[in-house]
Amino acid sequence: MYASNNPYRPIRTEILGTIEETPTIRTLKLRPDEQISFDTGQFIELTVPGAGEAPFTPSSEPSVKDVLEVSVMRVGKVTERIHALKAGDTVGLRGPFGSGYPLDEFVGKELLVVGGGCGFAPLRSLMYELFRRSREFKKLLFRGGCRTPKDFLYRKQIEGWGKRDDLDIQLTVDEANGDWQGNVGVVTTILDGLKMDIHTGMVVVCGPPIMMKFATMKLLDLGFKKSNLYLSMEKNMSCGFGKCGHCRIGTYYTCKDGPVFRYDKISDYPNIWD
Amino acid sequence: MDSKFISQANLLDLLNDLRGEYSVLVPVRKGESRFYEPLAAIQTQGEMEVEDPQTPVDNRFVIGEVRASEPLKAFFFQAKQRVAENYQDTTPTRDAKPLCIVGAKACDLKGFKVLDTVFVGTDYQDPFYKKAREKNLIISADCTSALDVCFCLALDLLPHPQDNFDLNLSDIGKDYVVQAGSDKGAGILEKYASYFQEAGKDQLKKRDQMRSGVEEQVRNNIQTSGVPGQDRLAGVVQSNYEDPLWKEEAETCVECGACNTICPTCHCFLLLDQLDNRDLVRYRLWDSCLIKDFAKVAGGANPRPQLWMRLRNRFEKKFDYFPKVNDLYACTGCGRCVLACPGKIDIRNVLKRNVENVRK
Repeated sequence: MYASNNPYRPIRTEILGTIEETPTIRTLKLRPDEQISFDTGQFIELTVPGAGEAPFTPSSEPSVKDVLEVSVMRVGKVTERIHALKAGDTVGLRGPFGSGYPLDEFVGKELLVVGGGCGFAPLRSLMYELFRRSREFKKLLFRGGCRTPKDFLYRKQIEGWGKRDDLDIQLTVDEANGDWQGNVGVVTTILDGLKMDIHTGMVVVCGPPIMMKFATMKLLDLGFKKSNLYLSMEKNMSCGFGKCGHCRIGTYYTCKDGPVFRYDKISDYPNIWD
Repeated sequence: MDSKFISQANLLDLLNDLRGEYSVLVPVRKGESRFYEPLAAIQTQGEMEVEDPQTPVDNRFVIGEVRASEPLKAFFFQAKQRVAENYQDTTPTRDAKPLCIVGAKACDLKGFKVLDTVFVGTDYQDPFYKKAREKNLIISADCTSALDVCFCLALDLLPHPQDNFDLNLSDIGKDYVVQAGSDKGAGILEKYASYFQEAGKDQLKKRDQMRSGVEEQVRNNIQTSGVPGQDRLAGVVQSNYEDPLWKEEAETCVECGACNTICPTCHCFLLLDQLDNRDLVRYRLWDSCLIKDFAKVAGGANPRPQLWMRLRNRFEKKFDYFPKVNDLYACTGCGRCVLACPGKIDIRNVLKRNVENVRK
């Protein structure tokens, strides 16, 4: 966490610009008054003055220190207000909080990244880091799915990853329309026939709870080890440092001990997907 | 450490002296209950005289008897606290003098122990709680009676403080046996030495009799209610996770959150932002895990959509999470939630059912 006397205080942050990504998701480019540095997978709390806070995982490159991006889906009270903001407006930012993706655990291993929907936001930040360090990993695979082509967050960019020779990538949509030429079906339909060592391979899963649940079940069926699966859990993180009690999973607080959890640490707790 | 003795008159003088350095709060009797009030206010009302504790009078402050109705967290982790203003990196300061809490009972001190673990004992610290706690003076006191709902012994607490106090007072009729529990407390005994005498054998004997009498009352309470001791609680909430007992117990719950707000160990809060004359103001407010949206996320998912799941969660947090993570049960046996619940949900009975189920 950033050095501050008061962990409840947001840092004044300028919105440098906005990008409309899909009908429900937009990206904000943010420049906090004080430089913060985050690890990929950590989250921040974004304050809309007077409206409240909501947690987001930055989708930008962790190595860029002065500006960060968050992609925000319009789903609730605060995100509704975020969608009404424009360049030049001021917001507040707290964090980063929690523990991100354990990149060093992946070194020398084969790594599969499975994403869905708005899960591409945290995963884009992860992929930037993986690409930057790609020589350290034995193999990188990416499997991503969205509901429809028009909901496909960062579609051009992610399709562009198909040209990389350090990545084995497959994409899918639940329902095809328009110019979609690729696979049609939920993301579990593109998890068969993975060209990787299932027994030692590591996996990162991030997406809506229902997608994470079914992807995780499928991966376990395929033979991946629980202890090689890393999930980004979405709970009601509010304070960000394990005090307010809202985001507890079993003996953990998602904000402090997560949001990235190794699956075997939480798999015995009931209702983790709800 | 040697036990001291202080007369009632000297204690009043001592507390008055302490007002120079502290904001002194004392429990004051209101009908059948006790509430904390600043000592100064009582003095101006001309009601500082402590009368015979055996004949309680309204508005008289009481050192002994039992715990106050309100939990002491209210003074350290306030129900509504302004925690941030605009984007300023300052901790809004409390200009007031540090608090001196008089007459805190053993269960109140356990409450501090739990909240200390939450707010200052881990990797991140809450600057507001920390500030309120680090300079405070705790002058605790033995219970000289017990309420029917008291069950501290079940949580391995005695109704007289063992630790976590600066000074402890044992009411032995008109006067008090005094024990220091910290360097700070010992410092006060030294600084105000003229108020104290060495405690005599008879006084200590009186204290011990008083103590065992109250213990006996609590023991009887426990027998009547059947609440299990904490050595039988390990793992029971998990063992009964899917048991119908939660649905049955939640039948009369009205989701008011009284059990949370009255609990000396409940620490959950929400952050509320407001625009005050165009300035951003952030408040920290007590929250309740019984309320439907407590754990709901913006996308709509709610891990505990049913009321009985939230009631179960309250027990899971206190009797499963806390012992696993912090090695202590987040219950003090104070019985406040038993009295506060309009649905008559009785924590002693819920624990009893949990333990009995496992044994079946």
